[in-house]
Amino acid sequence: MLLLITRPRHDRATHYLFYWAGLLIDEAKKRGVRVIDLGRDKASRKKLHSYLDKQPIDIVILNGHGNQEAVAGQDNKIILSAGNGTNLLNGKVIFVRACDAGAVLGKEIMKNGARGFIGYLQPFMFLIDKDSLNKPLEDKLAAPILGCSNQVGLSLIKGRSVVEAQKDSWDKYTETIDKYSSSEAINSFLLPILLWNMTNQVCYQ
Amino acid sequence: MEEKHGTQIISGDIINLVIARLETIPPNVEMSVGNEGSFSIGELIERVKKQDDIGKKMIEMQLAYLRSLGKLPTQDLQNAPADN
Repeated sequence: MLLLITRPRHDRATHYLFYWAGLLIDEAKKRGVRVIDLGRDKASRKKLHSYLDKQPIDIVILNGHGNQEAVAGQDNKIILSAGNGTNLLNGKVIFVRACDAGAVLGKEIMKNGARGFIGYLQPFMFLIDKDSLNKPLEDKLAAPILGCSNQVGLSLIKGRSVVEAQKDSWDKYTETIDKYSSSEAINSFLLPILLWNMTNQVCYQ
Repeated sequence: MEEKHGTQIISGDIINLVIARLETIPPNVEMSVGNEGSFSIGELIERVKKQDDIGKKMIEMQLAYLRSLGKLPTQDLQNAPADN
């Protein structure tokens, strides 16, 4: 199995996604999955398209900012958009952790022959504890949210289908929502954000 | 009191409810709202008052959550222990 992952890092949101996507890389390597890691400046349109064109990639995970029709890489430069590169995703499974890309881009990716797509219909939101900026993986407010979305990547790396990965992630969201709904729970202000990301996470097959 | 934004009218009670819910988030926390950036809670509250795009997303998110509470099975509430 060959995984390609983009993880730009140029602002607070991408700083967090960079490290959380790093956990997916660690898990993939532990399982013997080969990884093409397009981090920071390597998260460019040229490199992404070149690898997609030349390598037998099975899973593509794009982290960064996005809109309904496009996903960006380093410094918010567009690396994939409707009509530009979606044909390169034929036969692959794609998870786009970026805002809104499930609305238009995901559908176009599927029309171009992808095996499956998971993404978001609305902005992907999470909380950042400013005291944890230097340790994003230890941020107790970001972790519940990013952990649920990371589950998509973890399941795909384990060989689960796109539908199974969506279910695994939704199960984790449900479990986390239950945890923060209990009367003993603190930080129940996380609940609307968890529900928002869960209900806006779409899966196409 | 009702506040107008374009053709949409959002009641002042709802605005106040959303602000009250945002005020439960500690002040040293920011919310990352995709490519719009990261916002302090104070900034989010100002956006809700202005009802700009970010503010409307906050309203939409909080209302979706509150509506979901209405879907809780009645039995769960009946079986819940009393606070006192």
